[in-house]
Amino acid sequence: MKRVNSTPRPGWQAYAESLGFQFHTIDGETYWDESAYYQFSLRQIEQDLEDVTEELHAMAMDLIPDILADEQKLDQLAIPGDFRDALAASWQRGDPHLYGRMDLVYDGTGPAKLLELNYDTPTSLYETGFFQWVWLEDQLMRGELPNGADQFNSLQDKLEQAFAGLPLPQPFHFTSVRESIEDKGTVDYLLDIATQSGIDGRYIALEDIGALDGQFYDTDGEPITGLFKLYPWEFMLEEQFARNATTSETLWLEPLWKLLLSNKGILPLLWQKHPGHPNLLESHFDHGKALDKGWLRKPLFSREGANIELVTADGKRLSEPGPYQDAPFIRQKLQPLPTFAGNYTLIGSWVVGDSAAGIGIREDNSLITKDSSRFLPHIILE
Amino acid sequence: MKRSKKAALILMAPVATMILAGCGEKEQEVHVFHNVDECAAYYHPPAECQAEFAKAEALHTQVAPRYQNQQECETDFGPGQCETAPERHQGGSFFMPMMMGYMAGQMMNRGNLAGGQATQTQPSSSQASGGRGAAVPTQPLYKSRDDRSTFRTASNQAVASQPGATQVRPSAVQPQRARLVQRGGFGQQAAVRQEAQRRQANRQRSYGS
Repeated sequence: MKRVNSTPRPGWQAYAESLGFQFHTIDGETYWDESAYYQFSLRQIEQDLEDVTEELHAMAMDLIPDILADEQKLDQLAIPGDFRDALAASWQRGDPHLYGRMDLVYDGTGPAKLLELNYDTPTSLYETGFFQWVWLEDQLMRGELPNGADQFNSLQDKLEQAFAGLPLPQPFHFTSVRESIEDKGTVDYLLDIATQSGIDGRYIALEDIGALDGQFYDTDGEPITGLFKLYPWEFMLEEQFARNATTSETLWLEPLWKLLLSNKGILPLLWQKHPGHPNLLESHFDHGKALDKGWLRKPLFSREGANIELVTADGKRLSEPGPYQDAPFIRQKLQPLPTFAGNYTLIGSWVVGDSAAGIGIREDNSLITKDSSRFLPHIILE
Repeated sequence: MKRSKKAALILMAPVATMILAGCGEKEQEVHVFHNVDECAAYYHPPAECQAEFAKAEALHTQVAPRYQNQQECETDFGPGQCETAPERHQGGSFFMPMMMGYMAGQMMNRGNLAGGQATQTQPSSSQASGGRGAAVPTQPLYKSRDDRSTFRTASNQAVASQPGATQVRPSAVQPQRARLVQRGGFGQQAAVRQEAQRRQANRQRSYGS
């Protein structure tokens, strides 16, 4: 694994926009960064990332029946009591799941370590599945990359197969918060893939969803029988329409049971069941006391690095503010991100259905990866 | 190979130019009145005034905006300005504003005072887009609580501030069946968190992770 400087394609910004990538630069800051790429060996990809991703995914799925059978665990995960039956039902019915992303610490040697599962509303999907792929093909065509360079990125193929294979009602709706162009971009990408796989997909802004007598409706007054939502379950369950979410005849992607896995509380539960596992970091539910050196604290529900606090091995304290201070916390042994050319590097590893489906790389100038971190492409080369 | 065989987009890559409906659309003359007597006072044949009013009244129960309860309706239309709608939901009746006027879509011939129209063949109200542009269906009008002078369609399109003739874009005043459903019940946390984030001068961009 190494970081290789690279010349950006001339005029790539306009090209990106012509392909629907409106958020390549955010508030004037680079988000898509092709001034460098990461290079992996096939062995690193297959043994250290692909196999590990599928193993960690299986371990997480395997925990669900344990959690559902144990009120104490549901308490620890702060699952609202009113929705436990509906959550269990969504698992027992076998409501299908589409995708997830786990964040891994990996520097090219030694076991990758699981930082967390983003299993309800993972983003950076378009960048990984599409624009990174286009970058590789372009740079191969231009002779800027060695012949035979490949990429661990079957994300779009696997999503298309998933949409074709899942028992989804039609039409199938896709929703996101109206004002987030980044979220709209991600949802548009999924809608595009779904359409290519033959699904009658439709977009509706989250705020436009209507409810009547416990059933959700679109703006034409048609019942919403299937809905992909890029909006966290833990938010939805606190909102006015929460009750309808359990009564409406709607198949949800992601399903309600994903609330268990997108929860940071899954990390201590994984550690309890598999203590010392080489791909896990020691984790516990937080008891509220000051952090020891070499530990970090994060809320059960948080996104984009918000509300994370850590103390490095030499006692340096680092924290990221955010809007998630109301949830319980977990603590996790600090595994510092590796640095390449002064950048802190994180690997996002995708799962579609139950298969590993590729990686996307984020770089930040701090140990805490935030929504302002940059996305860099990668290649596989022997 | 560890990458997708293809990565195509069929929707996201924008089409060069979209021709927007309504762009360059021709306006149509319509007539707006509080009631039949007012219509007749503007030198329209009383029988026509009555006939158009009846059409609007029939449409009223179909298109008037619906509310889950009287209080929500009166918030928009004012105390005593709402009535029960024909439909019921689990918690009781829906409410809708009372009809406060009507818009006669077809050119009334003003008892020929306006000096005979050249064309005798106006499209009928149910047929759209003849050579002279789309027809405007005769329909009920409403007045909101905080703006008692403006006539509005059931979909809250302002059409006139006084009785008589006015111009409208036909596409903006096509009646639609009232929506019974309640909206805006999701997305509140996004707003709350965004505000919290704004206070910390570190805004939330995405609800993904």
